[in-house]
Amino acid sequence: MRGFKLLLFKEVKALFSSEIAYVLAAMFLVVMGYTFSVAFFLNRVASLVHLFFQMYVLFLLTVPIITMRLLAEERRLGTLELLLTSPVSEAQIVLAKYCAAMSLIVVMVILSTSYAIVLALFGQPDWGPIYSGYLGLFLLGSALSAIGLLTSSLTANQIVAALASLGIFLLLWAIDDFGLILPDPYDTLVTNLSLSTHFVPFATGSLYLSDAGYYVSLTLLGIFLSVRALGRR
Amino acid sequence: MATTINALSAENIDPTTPASTAIAVQNLTKWYGPRQALKGISFVIEPGEVVGLLGPNGSGKTTTLRIVTGYLRPTRGSVFVCGVDALENPTGLRSLIGYVPEDIPLYNGMRVQEFLTFIARLKGLGSGEAKRAVAEVAERLGLEPFLKMMIGKLSRGYRQRVALAQALVSDPKVLVLDEPTNGLDPEQIIATRNLIRSLAGVKTVLVASHILAEMEKVADRVMILLNGRLLADRIMVRADKHNRIRLSVSGARDQVEAVIAQVEGVRRVECEGSARNGFATYIVEGESFVEGLAGRLAEALVKHRFMLAELADSSIDLEQIFLDLTRRHKEQDGEGL
Repeated sequence: MRGFKLLLFKEVKALFSSEIAYVLAAMFLVVMGYTFSVAFFLNRVASLVHLFFQMYVLFLLTVPIITMRLLAEERRLGTLELLLTSPVSEAQIVLAKYCAAMSLIVVMVILSTSYAIVLALFGQPDWGPIYSGYLGLFLLGSALSAIGLLTSSLTANQIVAALASLGIFLLLWAIDDFGLILPDPYDTLVTNLSLSTHFVPFATGSLYLSDAGYYVSLTLLGIFLSVRALGRR
Repeated sequence: MATTINALSAENIDPTTPASTAIAVQNLTKWYGPRQALKGISFVIEPGEVVGLLGPNGSGKTTTLRIVTGYLRPTRGSVFVCGVDALENPTGLRSLIGYVPEDIPLYNGMRVQEFLTFIARLKGLGSGEAKRAVAEVAERLGLEPFLKMMIGKLSRGYRQRVALAQALVSDPKVLVLDEPTNGLDPEQIIATRNLIRSLAGVKTVLVASHILAEMEKVADRVMILLNGRLLADRIMVRADKHNRIRLSVSGARDQVEAVIAQVEGVRRVECEGSARNGFATYIVEGESFVEGLAGRLAEALVKHRFMLAELADSSIDLEQIFLDLTRRHKEQDGEGL
């Protein structure tokens, strides 16, 4: 546990002392602000649904940048050898990296609650969909971080890691379209692999255990395979 | 010279007491896909020994060290470090070892003190202990003025020192160093050598290098690795250093031997082969603490009117051993053995 805490502290420090975190957060907030303003003044409805869909797309684009360096950089610098010859387990290393990535995602999500506060100040929003939307974003961020971590664990090249995770994200984003052309029962199977299929209910205020289960499963799978990737030596 | 080489096969290693040895490696094999990097090597290192692992690039040194430190898993074979089984308890093994990998991997974005404290804590030291240990190791390695500096801004020599410091900071029982003097200037090389020598008897040190001269200067004992095979594991470097002298002298053999035997510090004299052109070759072994033996031998022989044609330091020549062993190995391979 102490090893995990030390590694997490190191990771969080490295993440927040690099300019990438701040540029990402700033870019994220600018795009969010723009989306919020346009949706708010056009629709005049106290809802964050548009914002959630925008954040969903932005997560697909930004999470690869957050996760790409996590293990690929350690591999490239050779510092992975230092970590893996210290009395810490592969699982501790992977979990610390995952939690560090999540810390930035949580910060970004927390910053975006400013729009919910604005809604609360100037209108009477329905809080149910807002809570579920944020829960959905957290779960989405978690699943994407775990997949990003996995691609980062497989290569020493950060760009390759980022592109690979971006490719997987985009495929999982649009795979439900592929389900439309498949016969039964494959259509259901493929549609249920989609990130979008499981995100829409969260964003619109419907909570299903299956949707949460999907993101949790992706997270666990990503973490498990990352640990395996580090263990293969 | 032949007495100092124990040409090796897996059978003459005693694996029975891994607990009392610092490092016991038995029949280690490692495959990287279709390529076999280690072909069943076995060796034992006693506590306090400084042992050199010598071999050309690509001979399997780094693979061996990575397995001993728990970074790589062997395909077959066993590794015990201070009685801890590397395969069954890799985390326990890692807390016993300080390791300096070949490429000196360090976190460039960390300050020296921060990095050393991080490693010390990771190795299990408490907060206060880590602080003290970092201060001690920084003083020992002359890193005090650089503690607040970013690692990325350090020169190669200081990076190497930081790498050594991180290996020493947790006061491990066993130190494993991979090419520790690579890329250093002569002054830094001497400092690193002195540091390693100062650990002799205190810690067990396994140091890999492809530089023969380096091994002669730091190791008590040298093991030679070639193409994943251990060709020799017991070339005693320091025990035989500077106390063997080869002489070529004319004159009656018993008289020459008698004169040599009377010289102060001579332990043993042996005539090697028959005389050629009236000159016979003698190997003189002196006490290891004796200095100026060569001068006294020459003086005594000339005083007794023997003709001295050659006087040479015949202390162990690692280069020659290495060349002989690799040649023999290649011949054997050629014969399909």
